[in-house]
Amino acid sequence: MAIHLYLSLLPEALIASMLSPEDFGTYYAVGSAKKSRGQAMFFEVDPNFRHPYFRMEEAIQRCVPHEDGSLKASVYVSVYRVLEHMDLDALMHLYLTTMDGRTLELSPSNQIPNGTGNLHLYQEIVPVSPLVVSRLGPMEFIDQIVRNPVSLVKLPAIVFTELLLGELAEDPEMGLMENLPYSNRDHLRQCLTDVKTKYASTKMVDRTHSPDVHYRTIKNGFYVGNQEQLRYFPMPSPEEIRTNNYRWFRSANM
Amino acid sequence: MMDNFTTWIYIAIAAGLLSMAVALYLYFWVMKQDPGTERAIEVASWIKEGANAYLVKLYRSLGILSVIIGIIIALVFSIQPETAGGGAVTLHVREGVIMAVAFVTGAVSSAIAGYLGMRVAVEANVRTATAANFSLSKAFKLSFNAGAVLGLAMVGMAVIGMSMIYLWTSSAEAVLGFSFGASTLALLAKAGGGIYTKTADIAADLVGKVEVGIPEDDPRNPAVVADNVGDNVGDVAGMGADIFDSYVASAVAVMLLGGSMGLTQAENIKYTIIPLILCMLGIFASLIGIALVRVKEGKKPGPALNRGTVITCIVYAVILFAFVSLTGVYMGVFWAALTGLITGVIIGFTSDYFTNDNYRPVQETSRVSTSGSAITIITGFSYGLISIVPSIVGIAAATLISYNVAEALGMSGIYGIGISAVGMLSISGMIVSADAYGPIVDNARGIAEMAEMDHEVIVRADELDSAGNTAKAITKGFSISAAALTVLALFAAYSEVVSAAGIEITISLREPLVVAGVFLGALTPPLFSALTMLSVTHNAFDMIEEVRRQFREEPGILAGTHKPNYERCVSLAAEGALSSLILPAFLAVGLPLLVGFILGPNALGGFLGGAIFTGVIFALLMSNAGGLWDNAKKYIETGKFGGPGSEAHKAAVVGDTVGDPFKDTAGPSLNTLITVMSLVSSLFAPIIALVHLF
Repeated sequence: MAIHLYLSLLPEALIASMLSPEDFGTYYAVGSAKKSRGQAMFFEVDPNFRHPYFRMEEAIQRCVPHEDGSLKASVYVSVYRVLEHMDLDALMHLYLTTMDGRTLELSPSNQIPNGTGNLHLYQEIVPVSPLVVSRLGPMEFIDQIVRNPVSLVKLPAIVFTELLLGELAEDPEMGLMENLPYSNRDHLRQCLTDVKTKYASTKMVDRTHSPDVHYRTIKNGFYVGNQEQLRYFPMPSPEEIRTNNYRWFRSANM
Repeated sequence: MMDNFTTWIYIAIAAGLLSMAVALYLYFWVMKQDPGTERAIEVASWIKEGANAYLVKLYRSLGILSVIIGIIIALVFSIQPETAGGGAVTLHVREGVIMAVAFVTGAVSSAIAGYLGMRVAVEANVRTATAANFSLSKAFKLSFNAGAVLGLAMVGMAVIGMSMIYLWTSSAEAVLGFSFGASTLALLAKAGGGIYTKTADIAADLVGKVEVGIPEDDPRNPAVVADNVGDNVGDVAGMGADIFDSYVASAVAVMLLGGSMGLTQAENIKYTIIPLILCMLGIFASLIGIALVRVKEGKKPGPALNRGTVITCIVYAVILFAFVSLTGVYMGVFWAALTGLITGVIIGFTSDYFTNDNYRPVQETSRVSTSGSAITIITGFSYGLISIVPSIVGIAAATLISYNVAEALGMSGIYGIGISAVGMLSISGMIVSADAYGPIVDNARGIAEMAEMDHEVIVRADELDSAGNTAKAITKGFSISAAALTVLALFAAYSEVVSAAGIEITISLREPLVVAGVFLGALTPPLFSALTMLSVTHNAFDMIEEVRRQFREEPGILAGTHKPNYERCVSLAAEGALSSLILPAFLAVGLPLLVGFILGPNALGGFLGGAIFTGVIFALLMSNAGGLWDNAKKYIETGKFGGPGSEAHKAAVVGDTVGDPFKDTAGPSLNTLITVMSLVSSLFAPIIALVHLF
């Protein structure tokens, strides 16, 4: 029986499992007897990936079927500083699971967009999860937050996504924002105005923002970066999702 | 012997039979269509079994109730005092038996029409979903034809029933008994169906959508089958019974008034029969209108439905004009009927203004939802109150115009008001066909979701569904305004019946008994609304606990590996709805009799007046406010103001949940309530006139 490795983003953890990605997503979101529920995002990791930080073999040995024959759903390998010890080339696919347990697979792409528009809204997901606005495009944002040696605020690695800003991306002072789903929108407008008009290129909107995201607000896809590597997992358009993954489309309120 | 004009009754019966024959033809045509995949058939069978189980329980209870009321009516009308205040009694066994038979026949006719409609609806749901696999026009034709089964069966049964009773007895009072039977059943079917459907809807939404995050019509939701069953028993069977009751009551009110036009005996009979003829002409117009409703591939279904209604109105006006011109009937009949017809359509479309997301009320309510649920409730409720204005102005205008036109053309003005109600309802065949189409396509969409059909099917079902919402809004405005005019005519008929018993009725606000009656009448609709809505919350609470229990105890349900226990939720909804009907039924039938026998006929007149005015206002408010909140939520779900899951959406969901029992339980039952109270008062008026405490 194949053993899968998953890098969970909500919360950050490395998990060994006998379940396929779709079944794992369902289990993670709704199927646990422990009643832990909610949106899930996780990468499927190359099963051959090994790193001295993780006691991988020990976990894999424990990943065996239950006495009743049912598959072992999860053996937690690590729940702390997982991403920074990950070889990003080992990330195979990203899976987005809705609150009711439907899973969408995103494949990586080599064509990494650097964003359009003057201003950007970033939801950081791992290892910390603030909501941030910035003048910097996604590539510059990674450079600043992960690779800039003089930055005071620096992370060893990061997973984040850019969210839609609508008219605010160009015109934070006057742009319409009534159709944006974010809470505390006046503060968001003020933060965008600040990064547009003041010296700071990046500003935190919400330091304890829930890493759960409305999937329909994702602008392009998900970025994963560390000092040396950068991976990008593009999000299909709503039309493509509706055509190819209608159930997920409905569950995700696209 | 009756006058030769009576020949028209035979033609009316023939028209009724034709209507029934076309309904049966369409029924078998629908049944011949492809029911689809094994999975679709399985899902449809859950809904069919749930709906049948509920209707069997409902009709069994109502059957027992009808027999009991029938026996009471037989006894009361067989043994009547000769003079006011009691005194010697005389036996009128034949009269008592006729009244009882008429009552039971009315109840049975109403039940058959509702059952036929529901039966074809549950069969048509799955076939519409399957047809949507191929084309929109095919699915539209199937669902509309299925709706036409209810529309045509309803008007056919009503016209046959009323005509046969009148032919048998030559008495409009006996047809009143028929109408009372139909209305009593309609009230309970409508209120019961309304309680059922909203119990299931609220439980399915609050736990499934809000707490767990699963989409609408997802088969993992234990309440989803009950929700779909509710759409059938509430929106199809209940609505069919509701319009059946208004249709019959308006005709009966005018028949009663026709008998006292003060003309020659032959003329009185003629004007007693005229409402039946108007209904007959409406059947012909509806048949033509229904035949012309078509959607070409690539075209929208909404305009096709509206075109059918407009064509039916025009055809009806033309053949009514021809009839009035050729038979020497007062031209006032034509103008009064036309006034009612036009008013009905206008009121229907103004209701649409307040509930359609193309207009300001829904958009504004959606916008303010970004500030939380309290503002959503206040805004929606306020627009609901404003929505009363055009309808009430329309009713007032129809009343004044039809009255004065009738008077100016040599006819009784109050007879003209009654004719305007009959004119409005004569085209019920078409109106109900368009209305029943709505829940059929709504359920088709649900089945397509549950059977996991291709998303193209869902897209087509969505398009079909959006047309059904407008038809539904128009029908609600139509039925409430028609009921208002009907009860005004019934109110006049009540006065006529009391006067005929030798008691001069004086309804003056300077009389304390009348004032007491007005107050008691005015409180009845709000009290009825409260009782039915509390039933919904009470039953929904139980079902919410059941749905939570199933999710809690069996995680495999959400994971999609275990089938939920749908039957438990279906059973909870059915039992809760039926046990909740006792008090509302007493209010409708018992309270007018208590007021009449204790406070006397003048107070009962005041009682009816109070009930009519608050009943119409509450019905309009609740139907329109509920529809507005519902569509405000749907508007946000299109991506406006943050879209699904946003703070605005959460507030709008609260508004929609509040509005659910407003628009589908209490609101639509109120017009039936005031009709039942008016009918029971008119029916017992001769006895109340002679026997009362004060």
